[in-house]
This record gives sequence, C-alpha cells and structure tokens, in this order.
Amino acid sequence: MGNSIHDAFDNIKADPQMKEAAKRYLAGRCQKKSSLFANHAFYRTFAAACAMLLLVAGIGGYHWANQPVSYVSIDINPSIELGLNRFEWVVSAVAYNPEGEQILQELSLKGKKYTEAIDLVVESEAMAPYLEKEDELVFTVAAQGSREEVIEAGVARCSGHIQHSSHSVNADMETVNLAHDNGMSVGKYNAYLQLSEYDSTVTVDECRHMSMSQIHGMLSEHGQGQGCHHTQQESSGDGAAQGMQQESTGGGNGQGAHRQESSDSEYTEQGGHHRRRHH
Amino acid sequence: MRSETEVNHAVEKYADMVQRICFYHLKNQADTEDVFQNVFLKYMMSDQSFCDSEHEKAWILRVAINACKDYLKSFFRRNIVSLESLGDVEAEVAEDYQEVLEAVLSLPAKYKDVIYLSYYEGYTAAEIGKILGKAENTVYSLLSRGRGMLKKKLGGEWNGQ
Repeated sequence: MGNSIHDAFDNIKADPQMKEAAKRYLAGRCQKKSSLFANHAFYRTFAAACAMLLLVAGIGGYHWANQPVSYVSIDINPSIELGLNRFEWVVSAVAYNPEGEQILQELSLKGKKYTEAIDLVVESEAMAPYLEKEDELVFTVAAQGSREEVIEAGVARCSGHIQHSSHSVNADMETVNLAHDNGMSVGKYNAYLQLSEYDSTVTVDECRHMSMSQIHGMLSEHGQGQGCHHTQQESSGDGAAQGMQQESTGGGNGQGAHRQESSDSEYTEQGGHHRRRHH
Repeated sequence: MRSETEVNHAVEKYADMVQRICFYHLKNQADTEDVFQNVFLKYMMSDQSFCDSEHEKAWILRVAINACKDYLKSFFRRNIVSLESLGDVEAEVAEDYQEVLEAVLSLPAKYKDVIYLSYYEGYTAAEIGKILGKAENTVYSLLSRGRGMLKKKLGGEWNGQ
C-alpha cells in the first residue's frame, strides 16, 4: 500500500496559468528594478554625496546664521546685551546683572529684529521703574564696518520712540571681547574704560555693580571738561587700548582716547545726568 | 538579485511544492496566488547563495511556510474577507485522497508542516527541525501527536501508509 498522504499531496499541482502569471509578474519586477538601479553604485554614491553636502551646508548655515557678529548693549542699571547675526536678528540676549535677568525673564527676544527687541526691552514693565527714575539709558553699538552705521541708525530710530532721554555710544569688537572676559556688557565696560582713565583706583568689580548714572556721575565729578565722558566715539581698537594705557598712567587728561563729537552732540547738565545725542 | 532565467527555472522546479504548502495553509486561490508570487519574488531579490539544489529547496520551503504564516497573521487577511474566499476553491483531487487531505488540513498548522515535510518530502526529524527552526525532539513529538490525530480522524486502521 502506498503512502496515502504522499499520494494525496502528489495530486496537487501548480496551475500552469498561475505559473505563467507569476513569471510575468516577476519579469516585470525584474525590469523595473534593473532600470531603476542600472547605475546602482553611481546613484548610491551620488545620494550619499548629496546628503553629506546638505548636512554640511545645514550645519554650516545654522552656525553662520546663529553667530553673533555685532552687539547692542542696553545699560541703565539693568545691563543687557543683544548679540545680532549678519541679518541683524537677535541670536543671543544676555543679562549681566540680576536686574537685567529679571527683564529678560519676561521677554523672548531671540529671532526678532534688533529694533523690535530694543523696543520690547525698553517698553517692558520691568524696565519702567528704571526709566521713571530718570536713570541714564545708554545704547552701545559694537559692530564692524558699514554694519555699525546701519545698526546705529536703527537704534537711533528706536530710541526716538522712547520718551526717555537716551544716548548711544559706539565701541569696537575688541572692547566687546574684553567686556565679556570681565563679565560685563560692552556698554558698561566702555563706561568703565572712560572712568579708569581718570581714576586708576576704580576696578572692574566696582563698576560691575554700579549703575550707568553712578559711573557717569563719577565721571562728571572728576570734572574732566564738560561731558567729556559722553563724547566718546571709539571707532577703532585703538580707543580701548589707549583707554587701558591711560588707566596705567593714572587719570590722564582725556586726550586721544575720546574725541569730542560736536555735530550732533548736545550737552545739558540736568540733575547730574549728562546726555549725548538726545533722541 | 537573480536573473529572469534563474527565477523562471526556479518557478518551474518548485511551483508544485510551493503550491502544496499554500494549499494546506491557505483557504483560497487568490491568497495562494499572492503568496506564490511573493515566495518567488523573495527568491529573485535574495542574494543568498546555495551550496546545492537541496539547500535551495530547503530555503524555498522555509520561505514558503513563513510566507503563508505571515499572510495568515497579517492584519488585512484577518480583517477583510474577500468575495472569492466566500466560495472556497477546492483543489481538484481524486475522491480517494479527499478524506486523507481533509484530515491533514484539519490539523493545526504546526502539525501540518511536520506531517507534510515528513510524509511527502521525506525529510528526517533532524532535517525538519532545521527547516522549521525547532529542536529535533520537538519534531518527534509533533509528528507522533499529528499521527495520533490523523489516526483518530481516519479510523483506527490507518497506520500512515
């Protein structure tokens, strides 16, 4: 007797039509595949190269767009410094004292145009008490080349809206680095440089805790000519360097480091507050 | 990827075997056609090199069994009832074997596999263990239990012959 299971299964054969259908289907798939991957290695290399290029461009672009190239510092007593990228968008907002931190806590400035960011900072509720006290509001712009003029014009437009009197100062990028090394905003560090010119005993740490009006008050106490401390427009690295040199000679006469800028400067002495470039 | 000639050769050589595996796992012709094409598509796309034709046969057997199981497990298969499946396509088999086949088909899948591989393909328990990824002793017990079930269905006189 034969194996009944074997014989039973032996009766089952694949349908010739099904075999033909499968062959046609597989031939179709075969052609599709081979045409798609005719240059398999080439496509793979090309795709890898494209992906690599995109990745590098992406990382590079991100870094490029997020690198601060210029700085605007806003100092009253709160000391805030905005880092701007090449498109003048805010990429960093750093507070250099607790008062500044308090202001930044309430605001989201990153990704905004610097003029918008300045408006937000100055018009914020936390800022109001400082402005009411008639404290000195100083904008310090540090940028390179033509960007400086552009940003300065923007800051001037911004401060034009502000009811409070303010003035703007320029600084060079070297001062920015020195300021950051000392844990200060460029605006306050700039003021420190001026003060150290007249008073060699003053230290960075002392200045760090002083408000802008206190520093400027001390400057005027030294009586180095009317508002000489407001007239600086340090447009090159020499300015800062000279400032440092004069610090070592102990209270220089203010020559060289600061140039009087006469055209649009207007000086008034009112309640101990000197203002330059009233906006 | 294998050439068209190679694939056509394999279809001719293993079509009946794949058809039989599909027959005892699946219920209707449409499912069988799907799995049949998939098995040979996998063969075509595979870069697996075979030592000899036995190795190739065992590979296709394993792929076919897994393809059937996967198909039965698939969400689509479990949730959609095709119109064709409502009228089952019965394989045209001689009446003499109808009873035996029905008895084999009524077994759970794990018994069907070992019964088919042992009785039809003539593999030993060790070889079946390798193909199905089971221990040899498991295959022995599956075989003896499967045989017992068949005996019950086909009557006491059936002895596997």
